Amino acid sequence: MTTRRQILKSALAPMIVHSVVLGQRAGAVAPSDRIVFGGIGIGSRGGYDLSKLLNFPQVRFVAVCDVRNERREQVKSIVDQKYGNHDCQMYDDQYALLARQDIDAVLIATGDRWHTPLAIIAAQHGKDVYCEKPCSMSMEETWALADAFRRYNRIYQAGCQRRNGANFELCKELLKSGALGKLETLYANIGPSVNWPPLPSRDWLGAEELPPKQVLDWERWLGPAPWRPYNSAYVRGDWRNFYDFHGGGILEWGSHTVDLCQWAAGFDDTQPVEYEPVGTNIGPYKVLCKYANGVKLVMRDDGWDGSLKTGSCSFRIEGDKGWVETGDATRIESSENIKPLLRPTEPASLAIVNHIEDLLRCIKTRQLPRASAAAAANTHIVCHAAFIAYQRGKKLTWDPENREFTNDDVANRMRSRALREPWRV
Amino acid sequence: MQQTTQPVPAAQAAKPEPPAPPPEFQEGNIAHMDAAALIRILTDASSPEFQKAKACQRVGELGAKEAVPALASLLSNEHLSTYARYGLEPIADPSVDDTLRAGLTKLKGNLLIGVINSIGKRRDAEARPALAKMVYGADADVASAAVSALGNIGGVSSMKLLQAALTKTGGMTRMAVADAALVCAERLLAGGNRDQALALYASLSAADMPKPARLAAMSGIIREETSISRPR
Repeated sequence: MTTRRQILKSALAPMIVHSVVLGQRAGAVAPSDRIVFGGIGIGSRGGYDLSKLLNFPQVRFVAVCDVRNERREQVKSIVDQKYGNHDCQMYDDQYALLARQDIDAVLIATGDRWHTPLAIIAAQHGKDVYCEKPCSMSMEETWALADAFRRYNRIYQAGCQRRNGANFELCKELLKSGALGKLETLYANIGPSVNWPPLPSRDWLGAEELPPKQVLDWERWLGPAPWRPYNSAYVRGDWRNFYDFHGGGILEWGSHTVDLCQWAAGFDDTQPVEYEPVGTNIGPYKVLCKYANGVKLVMRDDGWDGSLKTGSCSFRIEGDKGWVETGDATRIESSENIKPLLRPTEPASLAIVNHIEDLLRCIKTRQLPRASAAAAANTHIVCHAAFIAYQRGKKLTWDPENREFTNDDVANRMRSRALREPWRV
Repeated sequence: MQQTTQPVPAAQAAKPEPPAPPPEFQEGNIAHMDAAALIRILTDASSPEFQKAKACQRVGELGAKEAVPALASLLSNEHLSTYARYGLEPIADPSVDDTLRAGLTKLKGNLLIGVINSIGKRRDAEARPALAKMVYGADADVASAAVSALGNIGGVSSMKLLQAALTKTGGMTRMAVADAALVCAERLLAGGNRDQALALYASLSAADMPKPARLAAMSGIIREETSISRPR
């Protein structure tokens, strides 16, 4: 039986606050310790990642690539201001950026359709990668991503930063220590269906006049996604919730919260074998999943903060002796017997800093970061399987070993999507 | 234990609604049509582009082999070729491979590359001779697609073609050849052709190979030679 002392020893390690977080600059960084970054598709989310990345003294950000002239210039301005020079180079062709021998790693924060193809091209060019989530548009892309990073021995960190969040780690440790007892059910909260329906639209928006190519290259913006007429709303961010660009609420938020469940339970090398959709496209909805060992995974549309108001991207672990739930509010809710084991943790908002530091450390040591391509692949296969089950409107059974659904041929045909020429994975 | 209260991030504001799709760009009933109805859309010359695009996707998901001729007719359409391949790729029928191979002699540029990519995805070994002819063609992008497909198809025949191409190509094509050779080596290993796989890795380990592929090949050799699961 696990004692309280043992749990405290394993789970309550001293909190370390990074000098980067405190705004302290380390001493001069030797050129050999410097990690040179480029960025592709840096918009609002990517800009947030970039702002954290630039605070690390060992990072030198030297180049940006974007299909939008405005975005290229915005990022260059931010970077040049940070370094007090005019050195950040702008590109509209990802191959030109990736061909630079001085660049070690790239930050990819494009729309989802580009994530896998760009990450694979980066690996082929010998680059390490930080890529925003969701990492893939299909199961086929997911497997190709994991294969490429294994093949080239490149470091890949998916933008699943909560794996490096202290409150999430504490919940994982409470399960691992035995305090929660035998694991029974994992809950992954999915963003509210009012904003993120599980079934994205297959419609098109009305055609608008194309802007000049030097302002926006629509062909490159579409990239691997099938052709459709230009509409400025897509470019403003409303590409989400369209099937050709997006995996709906399940991929959008499951890539965070299903990821937490997989990681916390130690299931990074497997996937559930059953997926049962419940609900409608206007919510609330669930996907009830079960692993081969009987553990249940429930993806649920439980509101943005979760019913316990633990913040966005919350997840919950239930064992036969207790439960815990936490999210971006940092606070951990739990069963009464677990409360004595809880402690204050650093804010969940620092997860991104820890996550980038994890990447930078692994770039140097060549160890796997917490959200490696292999781990992210398992998470994304779970999300894609749930997404396909929801589209099919029926309970699907999945064979992780043979990578196929065992009770639906249509579902198997949905494991892959053709990429627009000339792109491939 | 009293927990430190952290500020709760503000709940995300409701996203503003995107513009509504116009009626002519709404999938509507197409989502629920059977294969026969979808094929009627595809073969009706008056069907709008949008309807054909959606019909391609849905008929592919249904796996209707009787739709192959209709899908094939759209491979030369610049707006719809991806949709046609979306429809063709998952249909498990040899007529799809025949159709894609026929496209190799009819299409050019990106449309040709798309068909090559689909052939690679389906691992159609019968396409190997036609793909081999494209490796040294004038269009470097087509050549890169062809070698990538050869790597995916795998086998000893592909291995020999790629091994030769490693020494006869340059620039981006050579980088694509090297990547394809790495994939091919993995296919050979999976198929039990260990000696050929190691020979391919050895070719890729030469000093003049693209550095990422060279390092990957060396890793492949080390991984294979040190594998504890390999019978000795």
